[in-house]
Amino acid sequence: MSRRSYSKHIPDFRLVTHFAEAGQSLLHRVNPWTKMALLGLVVAFVIVLMDLYLIAILYVATIAFYALGRLPLRLLVGWYSMPVLFVVTISVLFMFTEPGRELASTYLLGQRVAITDNGVLLLVKLLLRALAVVTFSLAVFMTTKYSHLSQIASRVLPQSLANVFLLSYRFTFETTDEMSDVIDAIHARNGNLVRGASRQTRLFAGIFGLAFVHAFERAERIAKAMEARGFTGSFPTGETLSRPGVGGYIVVALTSLALAAVAYSRYVEELFAWW
Amino acid sequence: MAHIHLEDGAFTIFWVGVWTLIAVLLLVFPLLKLGGRNIPTRKLAIASMCVAVGFAIFQVEIPVFGGIHINLTPFIGILVGPSLGSLVVLVINVFSAAIGHGGWGMIGANTIVNLVEVFLGYYIYRAMRTGVKTGRFTAGFGAAFIALAVSAFIVVGIVTASEIQDSTQTRDETFRNMLVLAAANLVAAVMEGVVTGYIVSFIGKIRPDLLADSERTEKDKAASRAKEGTPNV
Repeated sequence: MSRRSYSKHIPDFRLVTHFAEAGQSLLHRVNPWTKMALLGLVVAFVIVLMDLYLIAILYVATIAFYALGRLPLRLLVGWYSMPVLFVVTISVLFMFTEPGRELASTYLLGQRVAITDNGVLLLVKLLLRALAVVTFSLAVFMTTKYSHLSQIASRVLPQSLANVFLLSYRFTFETTDEMSDVIDAIHARNGNLVRGASRQTRLFAGIFGLAFVHAFERAERIAKAMEARGFTGSFPTGETLSRPGVGGYIVVALTSLALAAVAYSRYVEELFAWW
Repeated sequence: MAHIHLEDGAFTIFWVGVWTLIAVLLLVFPLLKLGGRNIPTRKLAIASMCVAVGFAIFQVEIPVFGGIHINLTPFIGILVGPSLGSLVVLVINVFSAAIGHGGWGMIGANTIVNLVEVFLGYYIYRAMRTGVKTGRFTAGFGAAFIALAVSAFIVVGIVTASEIQDSTQTRDETFRNMLVLAAANLVAAVMEGVVTGYIVSFIGKIRPDLLADSERTEKDKAASRAKEGTPNV
């Protein structure tokens, strides 16, 4: 568990790992390959689905999947902040400029601006799509052990990329702890009383700069240690990852069929509409 | 936020494929330059540490103007160079997708935006330090601000070209909407520029050797290699 999380808006990697390693739910026992395949299918679904009701059903299904892992829903709401911010930032202006029936209007700097029904619909659809993937993705990573993730990364990513991915994952805990310690130390010395944008910015720039300097020094030590221990370019994996069971194959096959049906109704019928 | 992560479901499958393909092509050159499958262990460790620190920093809210989060991608470019920086931003985007900051299908589009920040951050900083001979703060601020400003317009370009799914607006209308977002991002770019300037100044005082690569011209680097007798790799 994290000693102190910096933000309620950003998932804490220690907490994510804690749930993945300590959880005992049904979802924790599902084969990691099955969960990853389903994650890919959910991403494909949000791209292909156009109907609001179907997108809403998909979102509810991802919430149910998350709840199946006995994961904390209250935390999930906080973690939605950033994805919601990203979607709203991109699409907020479309709410006012999308052609449709006016729902409300006002004057801003002498210009009349109106929210339209299609504009709101667009925002809601984009939000549901994004949140469906976020929920499912977090559920997968909060119910899959690191050793399993590392094996999947080693199999699906190019070796050098997988190495950086796996090393970064391990280093993340150490660097977040270190930064947490520095910020604690600053608060303990009344650093939180520092006022003024320039002084605050300079203070935090010093913390960040120090973190990078320490990171470089640590990386050089770790590289030497890895070479001394005969690192050959790949990390050994402790346990083997089994194939999905029959149930897993059936779930993935049925979900793929549903996706194919949705894709057919959107693309193929559109393609032959002229005929 | 100094830049926006695009979330899943905004673009059609065609455009998801296009941006992914372009990102892969852009990443091939830096990966080959780093050694392909055999990236030296030191570079591997440095890239991994930069990912971890970049992630940790992203979680810290700087208490100015109501609280800002920064990504420091141009700074990562300045610190580790464009090749290693490309690898770093790709892995950061994979991590970000895992926790919902940017979609899985959007890793390609988001990586293109970040690659621009890394490349411009490095080359503008180097040009300002070696060509214009400015101080570290000015060079850091200028590099980060210009890189983030350009990347804000790259986001505008990507969204305009792809068009938002479900929207009936034309590309011209989408472009006009997105320009407002780019203008807002310029303000955030100024803030990240100031932070980057201070960080670069700080590192310049305590470990100037870490900035040596981005503060030398190609000619200086070749001369240094010749002096040390190391091959030109």
